[in-house]
Amino acid sequence: MASTSAPLHIIDDDDEFDWEAAVREIDVACQNTANGTSTNKSTISNSKFEFDSNANINSSPVQEIPKEGKPTWKFSSSSSSSTRQSTLDKFIGIVSNNSNKSEFQDRFGKNNSNANNNGDDMKGVAECSGIEMLNGCIQIDPEAAKTWIYPVNIPRRDYQFTITRTALFSNTLVVLPTGLGKTLIAAVVMYNYFRWFPEGKIVFAAPSRPLVMQQIEACHKIVGIPQEWTIDLTGQTSPTRRAGLWKDKRVFFVTPQVLEKDIHSGSCLVKHLVCLVIDEAHRAMGNYAYCVVVRKLMAIPVQLRILALTATPGSKHLTIQNIIDNLQISTLEYRNENHPDVLPYVHERKIELMEVPMGKEAAEIYNLLGEVARPFAARLSTFGVLQKRDFQTLSPCDLLNSRDKFRQEPPPELPQTKFGEIEGYFAVLITLYHIRKLLSSHGIKPTFEMLEEKLKQGFFARLVSRNEFLLKANLLMHQTVSHGAPSPKLAKMLEVLTDHFKVKNPKNSRVIIFSNFRGSVRDIMNALTNIGEIVKATEFIGQSSGKTLKGQSQKVQQAVLEKFRTGGYNVIVATSIGEEGLDIMEVDLVICFDANVSPLRMIQRMGRTGRKHEGRVDILLLRSELKGYMRKQVNSKAITKHMSNGGLNSFNFHSSPRMVPHIFKPEVQLVEISVEQFVPRGKKVKDDHLILTPAYETKLTNAETDLLAKYFCSTGEKDWRPSLIAFPHFQAFPCSVHSVAHSSMTGILIDTMQNLQGLSFSTYSRTSMTEDENFSNPCFRLEAEELYDQNTKDNPGYSAEEDLKTELPETDAKLVDISGTKDMCMQDIHGQKSGAHSFLFDSEFVSVDDLGRVLVLSLSQLPLVSHSKSTIGGNMEFVSNLMQDSSVFEASTKDIKENTVQVKGIFTSQTRSTETENSLPSSRKSNEKDSYDKDPKVEQNTISMALDDERNDDLIDFELSPRLTNFIKSGVVPESPISDSGISKGKGVDFMIPDFVSSPNMHSGFSMKCPQKADGDGNVNQMEVLASPHSELGTSPLHLDNHAPKSCQSPFSVVKETETPISKLSNTSSSKDWALNSGGKCESVEQPCKFRRLRKHGDLHPKIPSEPKERSGFIERLKASSVTGSHAAVDHVGGQKRTAKGATVYIEVEAEVSSEVMASEDEEDEANSTYDGSFIDDRVNPTAASTQAEVGRIDMMAIYRRSLLSQSPLERLPNFSTHLSLDSTVPSIRTDESASLKGTENHPLQTGLDSTDNENKTENHKRKLSFYQAQSIPMVNLENEFLLHSEAARNNSPSHARIEEYADIFEDDKFFEDIDLDAVEEQAIKLLRYKSECSMQNQARTSEPTAQNLEIPGSPSFDLGI
Amino acid sequence: MEENTFDPDLIRAIFNLVWKKRAAEREKNERTETVEMGVGTSKKNRLTSVNANALKLSCELLRLFVTEAIQRAATIAEAEGSNKIEATHLERILPQLLLDF
Repeated sequence: MASTSAPLHIIDDDDEFDWEAAVREIDVACQNTANGTSTNKSTISNSKFEFDSNANINSSPVQEIPKEGKPTWKFSSSSSSSTRQSTLDKFIGIVSNNSNKSEFQDRFGKNNSNANNNGDDMKGVAECSGIEMLNGCIQIDPEAAKTWIYPVNIPRRDYQFTITRTALFSNTLVVLPTGLGKTLIAAVVMYNYFRWFPEGKIVFAAPSRPLVMQQIEACHKIVGIPQEWTIDLTGQTSPTRRAGLWKDKRVFFVTPQVLEKDIHSGSCLVKHLVCLVIDEAHRAMGNYAYCVVVRKLMAIPVQLRILALTATPGSKHLTIQNIIDNLQISTLEYRNENHPDVLPYVHERKIELMEVPMGKEAAEIYNLLGEVARPFAARLSTFGVLQKRDFQTLSPCDLLNSRDKFRQEPPPELPQTKFGEIEGYFAVLITLYHIRKLLSSHGIKPTFEMLEEKLKQGFFARLVSRNEFLLKANLLMHQTVSHGAPSPKLAKMLEVLTDHFKVKNPKNSRVIIFSNFRGSVRDIMNALTNIGEIVKATEFIGQSSGKTLKGQSQKVQQAVLEKFRTGGYNVIVATSIGEEGLDIMEVDLVICFDANVSPLRMIQRMGRTGRKHEGRVDILLLRSELKGYMRKQVNSKAITKHMSNGGLNSFNFHSSPRMVPHIFKPEVQLVEISVEQFVPRGKKVKDDHLILTPAYETKLTNAETDLLAKYFCSTGEKDWRPSLIAFPHFQAFPCSVHSVAHSSMTGILIDTMQNLQGLSFSTYSRTSMTEDENFSNPCFRLEAEELYDQNTKDNPGYSAEEDLKTELPETDAKLVDISGTKDMCMQDIHGQKSGAHSFLFDSEFVSVDDLGRVLVLSLSQLPLVSHSKSTIGGNMEFVSNLMQDSSVFEASTKDIKENTVQVKGIFTSQTRSTETENSLPSSRKSNEKDSYDKDPKVEQNTISMALDDERNDDLIDFELSPRLTNFIKSGVVPESPISDSGISKGKGVDFMIPDFVSSPNMHSGFSMKCPQKADGDGNVNQMEVLASPHSELGTSPLHLDNHAPKSCQSPFSVVKETETPISKLSNTSSSKDWALNSGGKCESVEQPCKFRRLRKHGDLHPKIPSEPKERSGFIERLKASSVTGSHAAVDHVGGQKRTAKGATVYIEVEAEVSSEVMASEDEEDEANSTYDGSFIDDRVNPTAASTQAEVGRIDMMAIYRRSLLSQSPLERLPNFSTHLSLDSTVPSIRTDESASLKGTENHPLQTGLDSTDNENKTENHKRKLSFYQAQSIPMVNLENEFLLHSEAARNNSPSHARIEEYADIFEDDKFFEDIDLDAVEEQAIKLLRYKSECSMQNQARTSEPTAQNLEIPGSPSFDLGI
Repeated sequence: MEENTFDPDLIRAIFNLVWKKRAAEREKNERTETVEMGVGTSKKNRLTSVNANALKLSCELLRLFVTEAIQRAATIAEAEGSNKIEATHLERILPQLLLDF
């Protein structure tokens, strides 16, 4: 009867009934029955019991049981004393369950017929089968049930062994000091139940998720329950998933809340539960989930073994009894630290009470707070609601009790009206004492914070906030806190810590610091950071997030613990969350920052150390705390008395069911259990997922499945991966779309690719982004500059720019710039020039953007002049980078003079010539900018440089003059002024006047022209070359000037005349030529143009074969786009970022423009026809008319427009080309920017002079103007170049011209090298096709340039063209 | 949204395949970096999942994407006089297509 012996030990019989004998009899009967049944029914079980299948049980025992068990019934019902007779319990269980389960009875009924052998002897069998069947077909493994296993992997401890044995056979509450291996007991019990009941489910409940995780691993390490049967279920697992897991798994590590919920929802198969382990059982109070769970299980009822574990059952007799009741405990196994069983295994744990003197300030505050409290306490005492005693000794607890008493039975003599007052006083006092307590245990800082908070509201604030003592205390605290005086406790703690780590190896030693209060956790953490390297501290706090401190999620908590275990941290500062159950062997020091907690918690805290080897507990105490601590310690000692001797005398226990039938007498078997490596949970879960078979597979055909497999499961060899870089040329223009339009990113890509076709590097996106930011920001300028700086850092090119800019103020700026650009060029084989250009342009663009921004703003507010000023200022700033301050903007409001002066100064510094006289800062700036652009160009073409120099030197030459004009426009201008200060002056004057005049309106442009002309005349007189630029600049509105700059203006007529021969050709084809020339100049420029052309052509192809219509359409479109752009600009002004639409529109416009430019003449004609603007001089018409059908002055307007459109691209080509080709950033920027930005950009970039004026004008006007200007520049260039070319072709006589031409050609060659010949051809073809309608000249022109490009000597082609 | 879009189940399956792969990779990486992993950086171990509406939307997006790709590629193919969309046609339109989506 070994099996029964264990429980029987505990029996105390106060009945006369001979239970022992009865049990013995039953057991014997069981065995007999087993034999008998086996003989009876061969089919079923042999000597083994197959309880689920067995039918060899008759019902007689059931009926008999009551008879025999009658006393038992009484016994149980009376439940008088400690009846733990498992056998009898079982009987009870059977009966009660039988009555509930008709099914069971049916089965018994069936059994009746089968086995009716032995009457009484069958009882045992019936009982056994009944038990196992009760909870629903749980069968016991009879073989396994013969033994119970105790592992010997771990050194055996007798107390563990005996407790385990007890726990196996009765519901047990195990009270063991911390660190003595409660988990082992639990694990062994679980393992044995796992073995005995192959179908049974075992649940281990622990109150927090970290503990669950810890226990699942610990249990695995001890007994090695196969992991495929174990699972942890926490709130993290979804209920539906849990339901599945409850079915699949057998050993569950759960949080009680989850268990409660799942039992409630029915997903937990309670009938299968055989064992429930409850960790930290002292929590089983009230309505905690533990209690609910057990109550529910008992109500079902379920027979299962309950094992409760705790180190601290409670400090009062009542609480322990509550636990026992709640958990249906029948045995208490208690070992305290001094128990002889345990003693050998208890590690020395030194507990040091460290009394820390309260700081002086703290003491003072403490007393002050007492003073605050005194009157209230006195009042309450007089009311008789507070016991009279020294108010110093009151505690919040006393106050709470008194208040409760008052609330329940207020003193009868008190009037009702006083109640509120008394309540208030109580509240104040409680708060005060709480604060005092806080102060005494945690120091000043948290106290101060709390006080601050309390003073904000409630009774406390109302009654006390004026109290002088409190104010004084508050002040004192404030001072202390602000001085950062450390609390004495903190200092002591640091001292202890450092001492500790001096002795122990910081790598192996672990320290836990407990604080009751999150605020002080933070303070401790702060203090620890100062200690140095050896302390790697982290906090370990609960989940709830407060106002000041954010909680840690459980995941974080677990990570903290993990790192703490592995050594990532060696100190954790924990709140009460760290008190329970954490099993970290290496912890050898626990510091309790506050001792004023319950003894239970103190024990738990101490239990964190001394687990594997000796540990130390330091308790930091203020004197005021000492008393409370001592009192509580005494309290806790008393309880141990109750629990000694199994608590039999003190507690009422409950009966527990017998889980293993009596016929089995499990005997201990010591086994070496091989434990597999514990695999953390994450992996397992994933495996579970992978098993799922997607539903779609059934729907797919084999072929489809194969396809899927091919793309998603293949090894990779067969993979065909589409290449994104296979057709770069195709990415240079937009492909046709079906229903999804191109995105702005695509636009960027296209632009980029266009630029890239030759070369490029750089971060477009970044620049664009930065620009965007600029836009969004009111003080975009600064940002822009910053951006520049960034860019400079990032890009060498940018840096070069920066250098250039910064150096500009210097007199040698140009040289430096040139050198810098040269260097840049040298570095990059391909299109270095372009790169440099682009960078320059970028910067300019940015400036332009800024300017544009400024302009917009100014437009809304100020007159044109102011705008111009602002713009100028912006230019100035940009150029020089000196003007970072918003003052520049303010400067805009200043007089033009000031601006001019500034400009002058800057320019003087910048320009070598030091013609500072240039009154037009804007022009200067623009010139300078242009010059920058030019510089790289010049560098690119050393020949051209030389030519330029020569030109500068020799202003006389006609040919040179156009060249110069070109250069000027492109940026050579500064040089020219250098050569002739007078000219430059004149220019400046001219520019100033015309610009301003022109800025207001396009119409005014005429008047503008006139003065300009006049000025220009003077200039012309001096230098024709100069005149041409003047005209351009001054007559920015008149692109005609650009075309035939001189022709437009009477004084310039000479120039015109000179040019006219060329210009005639040029008018029609000039743009094209120009493009080519520009291309020659700037390879990059040309390329983008061409690409655009291609693009455009591509677009045109599908749509309309007829050019003119298309072009007109384009022009209109451009208009529309410009309008939209203006809107966009307005929006920008509003502060909004430019919309993608605007960007796209802009791109489109650009593309169109470029295409138009490419087929410039046709477009011009059409533009003339389309546009009714009458600004332009008639003279322009003649030039334009020469090749095309002109509509008169209206045509001029059209030309303007067209020029604007075409020029804008053209301008861009020079500027842009750099932008595009060199800096892909530029295009992106542009796209990003609104159309207004474009216009503004164009202005400053191309014709700085005009640009300012244009800027002054309204947006549309601006754009137009800018376009004009832009046009003018390119046009002029074209003309000039054209002239040069023609001249060169015709007459080689002018050496300069020749040289230049060669240079151009040379450039062209480069350009062409860079460009795709195919593209060029395509262009040409398209042009031809489209322009077939147009004059032959155009065709010739178009063809010529290409031819020239292809063939280095372009002269013949020129001739043809002419 | 058109009727004949992709079968959500199929799309889900594809998604799951990808996520599974991704998770496996992450797993691999994490295993090596577990030690270094800081507090709070542990990722969800669960696979990504997609809710029904998101799935529907994904189907539609994918449909758009595929049709657009085919249409564009078809345009290219046509331009080349071919009746069959080849891989190269796709490659031509791919960069811009990807940027458009």
